[in-house]
Amino acid sequence: MNDIFIDVDYCQIYKYGQKIGGDVFLQKRNPERNQIVAVLSDGLGSGVKANVLASLTANMAKQLSFSPLNLKHSAKIIMDTLPICKERKISYSTFSIADIRYNKYNSDIKVNFLEYDNPSALYFKNEKNIDWHGDKIILDRKNAFKKEEIVYNKFNLRVGDRLIIFSDGVTQSGLGTSTPLGWRLSGVKKYVEDILKQYPSISSRDLTKKIVYKAYNLDGLATKDDITCCCIYVRKPRRTLIVTGPPFLKESDDLLCDKIIDFKGKKIISGGTTALIVSRILNLKIKVDLSSWSKDVPPYSKMDGMDLVTEGMLTLTKVVNTLENKKVLTSLKNDAVKKYIELILDSDQVHFIVGTKINEAHQDPSIPVEIGIRRTLIERLRRALEDNYLKETSIEYI
Amino acid sequence: MDKRVSIKICVGTSCFVQGGADLLLYNDFIDPEIVEKCDVEGISCINACKNVESKESAPFVMINDVVYGDMTPDKLKKIVNEVYNARNK
Repeated sequence: MNDIFIDVDYCQIYKYGQKIGGDVFLQKRNPERNQIVAVLSDGLGSGVKANVLASLTANMAKQLSFSPLNLKHSAKIIMDTLPICKERKISYSTFSIADIRYNKYNSDIKVNFLEYDNPSALYFKNEKNIDWHGDKIILDRKNAFKKEEIVYNKFNLRVGDRLIIFSDGVTQSGLGTSTPLGWRLSGVKKYVEDILKQYPSISSRDLTKKIVYKAYNLDGLATKDDITCCCIYVRKPRRTLIVTGPPFLKESDDLLCDKIIDFKGKKIISGGTTALIVSRILNLKIKVDLSSWSKDVPPYSKMDGMDLVTEGMLTLTKVVNTLENKKVLTSLKNDAVKKYIELILDSDQVHFIVGTKINEAHQDPSIPVEIGIRRTLIERLRRALEDNYLKETSIEYI
Repeated sequence: MDKRVSIKICVGTSCFVQGGADLLLYNDFIDPEIVEKCDVEGISCINACKNVESKESAPFVMINDVVYGDMTPDKLKKIVNEVYNARNK
């Protein structure tokens, strides 16, 4: 598993009264080529027309970034393709493209960054803002109605670095009302610095949410433009270990416990027998929490050093079904399944240790069919986590 | 002599699906006065279900260190009452 995680997320509020946004953010991960592309585009005007322009721009930018064309050429293609606005007789949309390339074994992450008419992106090393100046490229396009200048820069991101990209809805928020000239780049910079001082390891999702809602407040809760902010944050991955099933050989019990102790991250034990083994070898008490009664899943337990201890197959089956159907977390009952899912979704990488011993008690024909084979169930769980939630997973059998 | 009754209800998979879930609602069928004098706990597995020679099957409950199988709410109520009365004569 990678030792580095690139956390890309965004937050957006549409212009007041609009049901569709004129800002479009897209991201695509291509694990085979170790590449992530994140694009933010702001279309001319607002509503449907702006959305069409921005979607076209963002989609083209995304696709062209995966092609071998150079960025200047891609930018020209985008601008030549955009439709012309009926009222203003121009075709126009802004964009920022971050083409991120990483190496599994190298902590250096290269970002090719291209900006056209969006507010300048902010670059932070941990809590410190770094000033950057890119190369200016003049496009010299035949149909240009104004001087088209693209700013290009290369960043080498390391753990703790952030690149924050936003549309002019952020910098112009509060214009003429709460702030005479809008929030401005300097205001946003100051705000982000303050947040990072307070929460140094804030996730991209939470940081962009804070920025966007601050701008929303400055606008007096009636936004004058679409407000969009995205953040690229390089950090150490949050990890979770899931141990399920007793080892095939009794002699491996000690090995299993060593692995649990050595693991750095959150720890979940799924299975009564497995919990008993760990409790016996590590001399830890299991305390079942009977306050969370549910007719579907047995209650969870507590054990020192473990973040969650649950029953095995029933809970896992429920967890898998919930994740496969992408159910909303808040709609779930407060039971072991919810706790389980909260823990998994809060991490970037999930490692499974699956014991291969067959449970004699599950061979009884009178118990429900849902109790499938552990290995198939774990495979389904991995697939759901990778496909629906973009988590990285790994597995080992014991 | 300790007069409290210890009740350990198994919440392992096979006990839970074969009726153990209902036993956890002990407050609904055991006399509240008796429940007050009992220490009710869940236990992740008693390991009784894996004993092939045993004639009893899940769900299992351990009352004062004696394991009872084929447990139902009525049977649990009866045994708890008996154990409680025997201790509080």
